[in-house]
Amino acid sequence: MAILELAGVSKRFGGLLAVSNVSFSIDQGEIISMIGPNGAGKTTAFNCVTGLYPVSAGDVRLDGLSINGLPPHRVTKLGIARTFQNIRLFSYMTAVDNVMVGAHWWMKERVWDGALKTPRARREEREVQAWALDLLAQLELANYAGSYARELPYGLQRRLEIARALATQPRLLLLDEPAAGLNAREKNDLMALIARLRSEGLTIFLIEHDMRVVMEISDRIVVLDYGEKIAEGVPTEVRTNRRVIEAYLGSGASQEMHTT
Amino acid sequence: MLSFLRIPSGPAQRGQSAAVFWIVAVTASGMLLMGWLLPWFVEPTSSGIGFSPQDAVLSAPMGPGAFLLYVLAVTMLLLVLSPLAEIAAGITKRPLPLIADRVRLVVAVVGFVLTLVVWFLIRVLNEEPLFGPIDSHTVTDSAVWLTLYGYAIAALVYGARRWVLARGNVAFGAAAIPFGVLLPFMFHQAPDFLLWAASSLAIYMLLALGLNVVVGFAGLLDLGYAAFFAIGAYACASFASPTHHIHLSLWLLIFIGAGVASVFGAILGAPTLRLRGDYLAIVTLGFGEIIPDLATNNVFGLTGGPNGLSSIDQPRYGPVNFGTNPQWFYWSVLAISVIVVIFLRNIERSRVGRAWVALREDEIAAAATGINTTTTKLLAFAMGASVAGVAGAFYGSLVTIVSPDDFSFAVSVAVISMIVLGGIGNIVGVILGSSVLTLSIFWILPHMNEWSMTVSAPGKPLEFLPGLATVNFTQYTYMVYGIALILMMLFRPGGLLPSRARRVELEAGIESESLAAVQGRA
Amino acid sequence: MTEVTAPATGDGKQPATAAPLLELREIAVYYGRVRALNGVSLSVNEGEIVALIGSNGAGKTTTLRTISGLIRPAKGDVRFRGEPIHHLGAERIARMGVAHAPEGRRLFGRMTVRENLEMGAYARHDRGGVRESFDRVYTLFPRLRERHAQLAGSLSGGEQQMVAIGRALMSNPTLLMLDEPSLGLAPILVDAIFEVIREINARGGTILLIEQNAGLALRTASRGYVLETGNLPIAGSSDELLNSPDVQRAYLGM
Repeated sequence: MAILELAGVSKRFGGLLAVSNVSFSIDQGEIISMIGPNGAGKTTAFNCVTGLYPVSAGDVRLDGLSINGLPPHRVTKLGIARTFQNIRLFSYMTAVDNVMVGAHWWMKERVWDGALKTPRARREEREVQAWALDLLAQLELANYAGSYARELPYGLQRRLEIARALATQPRLLLLDEPAAGLNAREKNDLMALIARLRSEGLTIFLIEHDMRVVMEISDRIVVLDYGEKIAEGVPTEVRTNRRVIEAYLGSGASQEMHTT
Repeated sequence: MLSFLRIPSGPAQRGQSAAVFWIVAVTASGMLLMGWLLPWFVEPTSSGIGFSPQDAVLSAPMGPGAFLLYVLAVTMLLLVLSPLAEIAAGITKRPLPLIADRVRLVVAVVGFVLTLVVWFLIRVLNEEPLFGPIDSHTVTDSAVWLTLYGYAIAALVYGARRWVLARGNVAFGAAAIPFGVLLPFMFHQAPDFLLWAASSLAIYMLLALGLNVVVGFAGLLDLGYAAFFAIGAYACASFASPTHHIHLSLWLLIFIGAGVASVFGAILGAPTLRLRGDYLAIVTLGFGEIIPDLATNNVFGLTGGPNGLSSIDQPRYGPVNFGTNPQWFYWSVLAISVIVVIFLRNIERSRVGRAWVALREDEIAAAATGINTTTTKLLAFAMGASVAGVAGAFYGSLVTIVSPDDFSFAVSVAVISMIVLGGIGNIVGVILGSSVLTLSIFWILPHMNEWSMTVSAPGKPLEFLPGLATVNFTQYTYMVYGIALILMMLFRPGGLLPSRARRVELEAGIESESLAAVQGRA
Repeated sequence: MTEVTAPATGDGKQPATAAPLLELREIAVYYGRVRALNGVSLSVNEGEIVALIGSNGAGKTTTLRTISGLIRPAKGDVRFRGEPIHHLGAERIARMGVAHAPEGRRLFGRMTVRENLEMGAYARHDRGGVRESFDRVYTLFPRLRERHAQLAGSLSGGEQQMVAIGRALMSNPTLLMLDEPSLGLAPILVDAIFEVIREINARGGTILLIEQNAGLALRTASRGYVLETGNLPIAGSSDELLNSPDVQRAYLGM
C-alpha cells in the first residue's frame, strides 16, 4: 500500500520548470532516497509534498487522498514531518523547547488554559516536557536539553532537527540531506538511527548526496535531473545506470573512499 | 537531564539578575538623594508641612535635632555612594567582603528608623525646640516617603544580595510593586497632577506590555499600535458619555475596549500575514495613520470629528467617584496591569508563547512543525490590541475627552521606545522601560522647569544663565525618547533588561557578523 | 604530539629551511567562558595543500576564523610569513593575502555572480590584475562565466560553492582557506571542486582545507592535521594519517 504517491507532479517558477511531471510512490515502511545534481528540483519536490509550495500540475496523495493545496501545518497533522537542507532549528530556543514546538499541534492546551495556568494546562505542560526529554534521551541528546539550539555542535543540530520532526508524531519522515556536514562516524550513527526509525514503523524519504549512505540504507532510489525523473530502482540498478553516472555520479573519484 | 534542571539558575539567567541588582541599588541611591534635595528645589507654593533640613541645621547647628540630621546625612551619603563600591569591586574583580553588605544593611535600617523618628518629632509633635523654627514651605512629606523607600530597598539589595541575584524578577517585583501601590500616599498632599501622571504611567505600561506581545513575543514589528489604543478610547467614549446616551461602567468598558480592539487587531493582521520585517512595519504604519484620520473626519458620525468626544463619565465604584478620588482610579489601573502581567507571563510560558517564539525564529520551520502560522499571528495581533483596548478605556475615563490628536504616530513611537529601552520580549524589562520613560516625561521634565527657574533666579547659583528659566523642558519629550534610544543601541542594545534569547543573540552576533571584513572591505 | 616537518611536496617547491607561510603557535580561543581552542599549533608551507580534519565542534572553523582575524585568540600567536598577525583586523589580514571561503558559502545573495566576484577584489586597485583574476576564475569555473549576470541567491548549491571559491580567489591570495567546500554537493560536483583545488595548487597556490570527507581531503592534501575538541592536533603526512587506525576508525568510517 503506497503511503505517499506523486502523480505527474510539476512545479513551475515563472519560466522555469523546477519539477517536471514526476511520478513515483513510496510504500509503508520503505526507505526511499532521492538523488540528483544540485538544482535538479529535489528540494522543490519536498516542498511540494510538505505544502510549502502548491504544485503547478499533478497530484500529491497521502494514503490515496490528495493533499494538494493544504497548508504546511495541515500536512504535518496528517503525518508528514521533515527536516531542512540548511538546518532550520529555532536557534534561540532550548533543545527541549524545539521538540515541544513539535508537540504544538497535538497538545490540548487552549489559549485561556495557558493564560490562567489551569491545573490541566500545567499537567499537560509537565507531561509533554517529560515526553520531550525522553525523546531527546532516545536520540542521545539528553545532555543538551537545556542548551540553545545554536549552541549544539553541528552534527547534533541535525539530530535535534530530526527529534523535532519526530515530535510531531509522523508516519512519513522527509529528511533533506541529513548527512551533509557529518563526519564518517556521525554518518554511521545517522544510518543506525534511520534503520531504527524504520523498524519502529516509520516510512522514510530522504534527499542525500552521500552515496555511501544512500546505497547502504535505501530500498529504492529515485533520480532527478533538470526536474525530471531519469531513473528509479534498487541501489545496484541506479549505481550502474549510465544516465545517472553521466548526470550525477561522475567518474567516482570522490566516491572511492565511501565505498571501501 | 541535569543540564536541563540547571536552566533557571544557569549562566544565561545570571546576567539579568545582576542587572536587577544594579537597577535597584542605583534606584535606592537616587531616591535617597532626591529625598534630600527635594526641599531645596521645590518652590514654597507646594503645600505640606515638615522639616527643611538646611533651615533646621542653620538655626541650631549644635542642637540635638541638628545632630539627628547629621547622622541621617551620613547614612544617606554612605548608601548613595555605595554603588561606587560595587563598581570598584567589578573593576578589581574582587567581590566585596560580606561585612560590607552587613554594614550597609545596618546603615539602611538606622536611616529608615531615624527618618521616621525625625518625621514624627517634627510633623506630629511639632518639636520646634529641637529643630528651630518649623515653617510650612516644603513638600517634605514626598521627600520623607522617597527617603524611606530608598532606605527600604537599599536594605533589600544589600541585606539579601544572594536572593536578589538568584531571583531577579521576584526581587524586582518586591521592590517595585509596593512602590506602585504606595505612590498615592507619597503624593497625598501634592496636586492631583501627580496622580494623573501616575495613572498615565500605568496606562503607558499597559500599552508597552501589549505591544511587547506583538513585537517581543511574536517578532512582528507594529508601528501603528496607537490605533488600537484609539479604538479602546473611542469605544469607552461612545459607551460612557452623553454622546449616545449610554453610560456603562468602567469595568464593562474595559472588556468592550479589549474586545473591539482585538477584532481590529485581527482585521489589521489579516492583510499582513505574508509580510515580514520592513514591509509589515510599513503596512502597520499605514493602519496607524488611517484610524486617527477616520476619527478626524468623523466617519459614520461616531467619532465627533477633530474635537473628539467629550464629557466621558468619571468612573465610579459604589460610592467612590474615581474622578474626585484619583488614587482609586490609579489603583484600579495598577490592579488591571498586574493581572495583565500575570496573564502575559503565563501565556509566554505556555504552548502559544512557544509557538510565537518559533514563528519569530523561523516561520517556515514553524509551519512545517505543525504551527498554524495564520491563527498564531492573528492571535498575537489580537491579544496585543486587546491590551491596548483596555489601556484606551482607562485613558478615556481618565481624560474624559478623547480626540484624534491623542493617538498620533508619536504615541506609537513612544510605546516602541519604551519596550526597546526596557528590553524587547522581557516583561520585567518592558515594565521598567515604560516606567523610566514615563517618569522622565511626566515627572522629571516638569520638575526641571521649576528647578531651572529656581536656580537661575537672581542670587541663585546659575544666575549667569538667565536663559535657562525660559527653556520649557516639557517640550523636549521626543528628544528624551531619541536620546534614550540612541544611548540604548550604543551601550546596551538588548535594552535595560534584555530577554534571555536576545542576550544570547547579541553575544553570538558579535562573532558572526562581518563577512565584508573577510573580503577585505572596511 | 610534535610538529611533523612537512615532507617535500611534489609541486616543486622546497619548503625545507624557509619559515612556513602560516604558523599557529599554541592558540587558545574562548567563546565567553567556553574554551573553543586549547593550544592549537599548526603550520602551512608555501605551495602546500594542508587538510584540517576532525569532528564537528572540534574547532576547525574556529581555527580558520582565528587565522582570518574574525576572532582574536586569548593566547598564542598566528604568524604569516613570519610576522605576527593575530592582533590585526580581518581586513588587514585579507589585504596581506589570506582569503577565506567560509562554511555555508555566505554569498551576497542579492548581488549577481559578477558582483560577488568583484566584492572579492574590493581591496585591490590594480585593474589589470583584477581583470586577470576574473579570467582565471572564469577559466577555472566556466559555469560562472555563463551565469555571471544571475543573482547568486538563485544559483544551485554547487554553483554557489564555485562563486564562494571564486570570490576568495579574486583577492589573488597567497593563502586560500576553504571551509567545507564539498558541503551539500552532488558527487560529480565534489569531484569538480576538488579538481579545481588541485589545479589552483598546481599553479602555485597554497591551500588550507577543512573537510568532512576526510578521505578525499587527505588524498588531495600533502599533509593533514586531525583536530580533536580544540586540543593540540595530531599531525602527519596524508599517507600516515590515511593509514592510521585511529583516523580510519573515527574519520573514514571504516
